Amino acid sequence: MMKSPGSIPIKQAALAFIVGVLVLVSLIGGFALHEMRNVSHNLMQSNQKAARAELADAIERLSGQIKNQAATLGRWDETRQQLVIPEYYNYWRDQRVYESGMLSRFARVALYDQSGNKLRAGGTSNALPARLPFHVAPHLHTSWLSNEAGVITLYYAFPVYSDERRLALLGHGLIRLNYMAELLNQNSFRYTDTASIKLNLKPGALLSAPELLPNLSLSARSDPEQLRFQAILSRALLALLILLAATALLGFMAHHRLLVRPLRQLSQDIDAMKQGRFEPNPEHAEPMRISELENIHRSLLDYQLQLRELHGSLEHQNREFRSQARHDVLTGCYNRRAYEEDWSRFREEIKAVPQGVAFLLFDCDRFKSINDTYGHAKGDRVLTLIADALVTALRANDRLYRLGGDEFAAILLRTTPAQARQIAQRCQSLLDAKRFSELDINEPISVSIGIAFCAADQVEHIDELPKQADIAMYTAKLPGRNRVALYGDDVERASQTLVASRETSAVFQALATPGMIEMHYQSIRSLPGLEVKYYEALARIRYHDTLILPAAFLPVVSSRRLETGFDLAVLQQVDLDLSSKQLPAGVGICINLTAQSVSQPEIVSYLLELSRHNTRHPLMIEIAETSLITQVTEASTYLDLLRTSQYRIAMDDFGTGHSPLRYLVDLPVDVIKFDLSLISRLEANDRAAQVVTDFARMMISAGYSLTAEGVETETALRKVESLGFAHVQGFLLDHPRPLAELVASLNAVSEPS
Amino acid sequence: MRLKLFCLLILFFPVAALANLVELKVRPGIQASADYRAGARGKPAVLLLHGFLQTREFRTVATLANSLHDAGYTVLVPTLSLNIPNRMQSLSCEAIHRHSMNEDIIEIARWVDWLKSRGHQHIVLFGHSYGSLQLLAYLEGKPDAAVEAYIGTSLIETRIATLSRPALITQLREQVQHKQTRLVTQSVSLCPQYAAPPADLLSYAVWDQPRTLAAVKNAPVRMQLIMGDADKILGHGWLQALQHIQTPMIIVPGANHFMDAEHEFDLFEHTLGFLQTLPTTP
Repeated sequence: MMKSPGSIPIKQAALAFIVGVLVLVSLIGGFALHEMRNVSHNLMQSNQKAARAELADAIERLSGQIKNQAATLGRWDETRQQLVIPEYYNYWRDQRVYESGMLSRFARVALYDQSGNKLRAGGTSNALPARLPFHVAPHLHTSWLSNEAGVITLYYAFPVYSDERRLALLGHGLIRLNYMAELLNQNSFRYTDTASIKLNLKPGALLSAPELLPNLSLSARSDPEQLRFQAILSRALLALLILLAATALLGFMAHHRLLVRPLRQLSQDIDAMKQGRFEPNPEHAEPMRISELENIHRSLLDYQLQLRELHGSLEHQNREFRSQARHDVLTGCYNRRAYEEDWSRFREEIKAVPQGVAFLLFDCDRFKSINDTYGHAKGDRVLTLIADALVTALRANDRLYRLGGDEFAAILLRTTPAQARQIAQRCQSLLDAKRFSELDINEPISVSIGIAFCAADQVEHIDELPKQADIAMYTAKLPGRNRVALYGDDVERASQTLVASRETSAVFQALATPGMIEMHYQSIRSLPGLEVKYYEALARIRYHDTLILPAAFLPVVSSRRLETGFDLAVLQQVDLDLSSKQLPAGVGICINLTAQSVSQPEIVSYLLELSRHNTRHPLMIEIAETSLITQVTEASTYLDLLRTSQYRIAMDDFGTGHSPLRYLVDLPVDVIKFDLSLISRLEANDRAAQVVTDFARMMISAGYSLTAEGVETETALRKVESLGFAHVQGFLLDHPRPLAELVASLNAVSEPS
Repeated sequence: MRLKLFCLLILFFPVAALANLVELKVRPGIQASADYRAGARGKPAVLLLHGFLQTREFRTVATLANSLHDAGYTVLVPTLSLNIPNRMQSLSCEAIHRHSMNEDIIEIARWVDWLKSRGHQHIVLFGHSYGSLQLLAYLEGKPDAAVEAYIGTSLIETRIATLSRPALITQLREQVQHKQTRLVTQSVSLCPQYAAPPADLLSYAVWDQPRTLAAVKNAPVRMQLIMGDADKILGHGWLQALQHIQTPMIIVPGANHFMDAEHEFDLFEHTLGFLQTLPTTP
């Protein structure tokens, strides 16, 4: 569990809180006890005062009572009678005074005659003095206290008169009583501790009654209500502390059970979530007693479940996105991103674990033409069928990548060159078996496959595989190839392909640098007579003092879709050559254009601009039959326009393309140039020669002017002449030459003449 | 003339000066007191005696005395000393009763003498309850000639409760004979614990109903008894016995022993009616 600095667990917080509460309550309890003791002390002092006041009241009350008793006794008829007729004095003293209620049982009384002598009527004495003390005044009430063997005794002397008018003193009465006993007996003391009442009087000493109170020592009785209150308060405080302790314990247990454990569980769950170890199981989760915590727990579980579902969904979507990111939407095979990732990974793996690797590069032949001719929908369908065929042909673990456009690649691990070639041929076979006619595509669909192989002992060259496969693929695309080429099989072709590959750069540089494209001119002569009627302007690229021929750079132009730019560069160079007026006037110029260019407005505009040379050099446009014309209508329109500008239209390389008849029907073609592959057939005496012958005658009869290309032998020359070809061209007559060389040659011929 | 007036003043002064309280030493050390109020000279003086152990303050006699004085009669209302100097309080039943009927008679005689000494030659004795008996006892002896009449109200004999009277009297006489002085406690009249020396108790105990009837019958003066027919204290048949000896007696219907409430007026009217029947002196 992660802890933040300074944070404490809730258990310790609860403990601290409970301990704090207990300490606070203890302090309050201690304060209450302290206050209670103060109150008790004050109450004790108050009780002491109250006790003294109470005792004073009691003494006063008892004194008053004794005084009243003495007065009553002094006025009592029977008392007077005893002083006159004391015959039954003892009876009166010991019985009558008590029966009558004149005196309490604790008191004793004696009567004294006028002389102060105690009445003696026989019988027993009651321990009162035989004579009245000398300090007793005759007519006054006198009282005093004495300590008689530890007993505080009160004596109260009172006069007895013969009548109420006090005219004649009959004698005296003397009351003796145990003062303390009487005092305690007749009074209920609330504040005074009766056992503590002491009179500081020496035995035998006398004390007048008024001096009694100052000489009394006493202690206040503990107030039972106060003691009870203190006991109750103490018990209450103790009970409160016990209750609080028990409550705190129960509270702590409840807190631990209701809060700490659930919170700890929540914390552990959250930590487990953070560490990805949490396994939510709401059905088996122990329910929490606190509804809010239970809600949090449930919410956490639900949240975790939702998070997990979301995580799963995200993972699924990630996989989906990753899959989509790595797959080509159109064909379903892996895309270039997957290729780059896999290739990077494969390279590391292969470097780590050397093995034979083959890199296959597939490129659909003339796919641009198919796409332009039949539309993107069918082009996409063609790519899909190609991908299906390739995936089917590959091994189970092999992956097919679409690198872009119609270019695919496959990386074959743990393979040999033979196996790679076999797989490539299987791809070709499956593609050949595909029925593209269902898509209303009549032209054959094929792919060129370049194979590059890296043996296990040459893994340091593995990074060159894509480039080698590219070279091999372009090699396979060369006319006459079997469309499968393994890099390294043929060093010459490989070097050519290397050059061609090198010339890719040359093409781009030539397009960017005027002058790098130089035109070579080859004569086109009329039959019979072999008079030069046209020079066909043939483009060459001079790249680092090397002349690159069209067979090498045209595939680059085609594959890079550079036809328009390249044709514009060619027209500019032709324009320059014609503007130099070095060519003999009256000789026409044939300019090769790709089929795509004739439907490009900028090309047509430039051609119209170039038509100014028509007066000196009749201009003819040769359109290669091998390249498809996608926008036939526009091309026909532009060609009609160009014809009005005195351009002649020639169908070049007739016999090697896709739709010769269609082009003848749809396009305003004036001249048909039979390809070398057809002309070479004429030299044989077979059915193919017959077909070409018949076809040429048919063309001628249809009104087309025929030109034979690639005439390299006299036999062929005679043959085409016999067939009625209007023009002839070929190495038999001359080779293409730069303008300067041609001009020099012409000048050389003319000078002797 | 001046001397005569002075002598009359001197003669009359003691009566006038002690119009309410008079004291009389009845025996050595024992002084008794009485309420004296002089009335018209032509009318007899009335001596009113209270009941058993009571004082002159007892309501029946005090009220009647006031009424008689208001009617012009001289009244003397003594409190029997019962051998207590200046007795002012009713004597408790449980007290030591050191008095006897003889001493009471002597004390009555002293008060009669005192009246005579004050010039009253026509004296009427009025007693209530036991005071009526004590006056009868006085009349049984040799009463003063100045005593002309007797009015007894709620007359009652000495009542002895527990023992038979003869046995008690015999017992007391023996004690007296043997000079025994120990107090005897006996239920006497209204006192259940009456403590007295044997001789003193005997002096009262002998006054039973027959002796009382005899004293009534033989009274030497004009007599009038006023009794209440609702007197519950009287012994059973006492009124019939009195009637049987043909004593002049008025029975007040509804009156109790104390003749209180509205019967105070009956008592006064009957008393006054009797007094008015007596001859007046010029």
